[in-house]
Amino acid sequence: MIRKLPFLACALALATAGGAQARGEADPGVTSTTITIGGTVPLSGIAAAYASVGRGAEAYFKYVNARGGVNGRRIVYKILDDAYNPANTVQQTRELVQQERVFAVFNSLGTEHNLAIRQLLNTLKVPQIFPATGATTFGSDYGRYPWTTAGFQPTYTSEGRIYGRAIGQMKRRARVAVLYQNDDYGKEILNGIRQGLRFAGRGGRVVAAESYGISDPDVSSAVAKLRRSNADIFVIAATPRPAIQAFIAANKLAWKARIIVNAVASASNTMKIVAASTGKRAEGAVSIVFLKDPNDPKWRNDRAIRLYRTIMRRHGTGDANDVYNVYAMASAYTFVEALRKAGRNPTRASFMRAVTNLNIRNNPFLLPGMRIRTSARDRFPLDQARLQRWSNGRWISYGPLLSPR
Amino acid sequence: MADLLQQIVSGLASGGIYASLALALVLIYRATRVVNFGQGEMAMFTTFVAWSLANHLPYWAAFALTLVIAFAGGAALELLLIRPIRDAPVLTVVTVTIGVLIGLNGLARLIWGNEPRQLESPFSTEPVRIGGVAFSLQDLGTIAVSLAIVAVLWLFFQRTKVGLGLRAAALNPSASRLVGVRVGAMLALGWGLAAVLGAVAGLMAAPALGSFDQNMMQPILLYAFAAAILGGIDSPLGAVVGGLGLGVIVNLLGTYVDVVGAELRLPVALLIILVVLLVRPAGLFGREAVRRV
Repeated sequence: MIRKLPFLACALALATAGGAQARGEADPGVTSTTITIGGTVPLSGIAAAYASVGRGAEAYFKYVNARGGVNGRRIVYKILDDAYNPANTVQQTRELVQQERVFAVFNSLGTEHNLAIRQLLNTLKVPQIFPATGATTFGSDYGRYPWTTAGFQPTYTSEGRIYGRAIGQMKRRARVAVLYQNDDYGKEILNGIRQGLRFAGRGGRVVAAESYGISDPDVSSAVAKLRRSNADIFVIAATPRPAIQAFIAANKLAWKARIIVNAVASASNTMKIVAASTGKRAEGAVSIVFLKDPNDPKWRNDRAIRLYRTIMRRHGTGDANDVYNVYAMASAYTFVEALRKAGRNPTRASFMRAVTNLNIRNNPFLLPGMRIRTSARDRFPLDQARLQRWSNGRWISYGPLLSPR
Repeated sequence: MADLLQQIVSGLASGGIYASLALALVLIYRATRVVNFGQGEMAMFTTFVAWSLANHLPYWAAFALTLVIAFAGGAALELLLIRPIRDAPVLTVVTVTIGVLIGLNGLARLIWGNEPRQLESPFSTEPVRIGGVAFSLQDLGTIAVSLAIVAVLWLFFQRTKVGLGLRAAALNPSASRLVGVRVGAMLALGWGLAAVLGAVAGLMAAPALGSFDQNMMQPILLYAFAAAILGGIDSPLGAVVGGLGLGVIVNLLGTYVDVVGAELRLPVALLIILVVLLVRPAGLFGREAVRRV
């Protein structure tokens, strides 16, 4: 009996080592033929307009799979509908991680929603990649949340800074009025504008700022209040519906200020409604752009946009003129590039290393010249953008690539 | 001074929209004693129907056809969903109307997608400025249409036999049946008419809001409930006065009381409901319910 013990201990030790090795070979979600990832996107409910952020990425992965996948593995992308309710996001993300055993959570949408799952994913060491939000915290708090990256867009602070600097160039001693949503998103843009105005050093300042709540039926009262400031630049940091109302209210009040509208509300279909409701008032409005807009005639014969339309036709659902599909493909493209760099048999750790060591110059869905660069201490894949001006029913981009710093 | 007037005028413009939906709530309550949480989505759905029709027909033809479809749809909802549970407790009925809310919202997304749309206005949206105060003919039109509907409703309920039948069927179904009122038909008629009113509310609200999508009525419904309760849930005139009053109150508090600002506008509306229910449960124009025991 006693003599048998060493053998038993030896066998146990071997078994344990073997198990550890097997675990090291394949992290959850990775098999020899597939790699399973997931995320939550509102397919129904109040923010269902963003469904294409999920559907566009899904179409791109299908396209990649049709061409052999990544290192011979097909990407299985599971989208769950959280109806834009953070409580659902948490429960469904648990389901993705614990039942579906996803390798990584990718492209989940919404600021509050991603905040709600960040601690959970970092505790379980599940990568939280390119959350679809512009909140700065996802990229800056990597010390506490090493498994999280920033969203695939300039942050709201960066966007605000770019506007602030651009205003400085437009006008000396500009008086700026800002309408913003009363949450982190709106406040980040407002603070960014103040910082950008300071960087520009041309004496511009925010003379009035009014917020609105997402449940307010209309914003005309807030715009009337801003009008009193006699500002000569009016920045609308709002989602599409209130942004349209803000344009209409400014027009009604005969407010001649130049309007800057944030990227969240600058999709061409939104601006077409503005133009139809206010006639000439929409002309000359300014925003930022970092994607190739499929509505812009400039890209009609662009190879990436032609590829985009082919992917939408073969694998996509929904409207190919919806720029959120392009956003989704740009993000999914970058995800696939990182996955290729994570080794033949990627682990969550090797994938995180790849995502935080990106240097991509040719993401075809982004504006020419844009570069995706990340490091362990810089987890913001993009922070550049160009300005665009609304003119005769479409956006025309102009000027150089701008950076917030 | 011009600022104050501007806030009042823009409050009246928003209030006109609350009032038109509040009217639909009041009508359905008068005709069926049901508080219909699906009312906003019924209005939204018919707005989409109108939008589809307006792509093929002249505006007023689309408008008229939409009202016909709304009437049929409202009556059908009553027949299919509400009638089978007419003897159920009130909570069951409320739950079903919430089901109508969610179901219609999803159905509209399925049919029309998620993009924001735009509906033309029957009135000019060109800004008019008088003494530094800006408004549009459409703002006036919305209020005028609401008032016209009140007049028609009042005549209908008070001066026609069908109106009398409607009121009787809602208040005392069994006695009405005994005196020959066709209660079932009356209830379906009530829902049909409420759907027509909702359609009018949607058709007024959509151009005033600039754009509309499947969620257009959800914030408005909350204010419409507040307006209906403020004015008295069974009083059409009360709904209009309540709606206009609420629009102005909320704007003035948001502008001149710093604590309220933008953040507390909706809570103020809910506070108004609470205070009215505590102080004057029947609302400003409502009648106290008297019941013989």
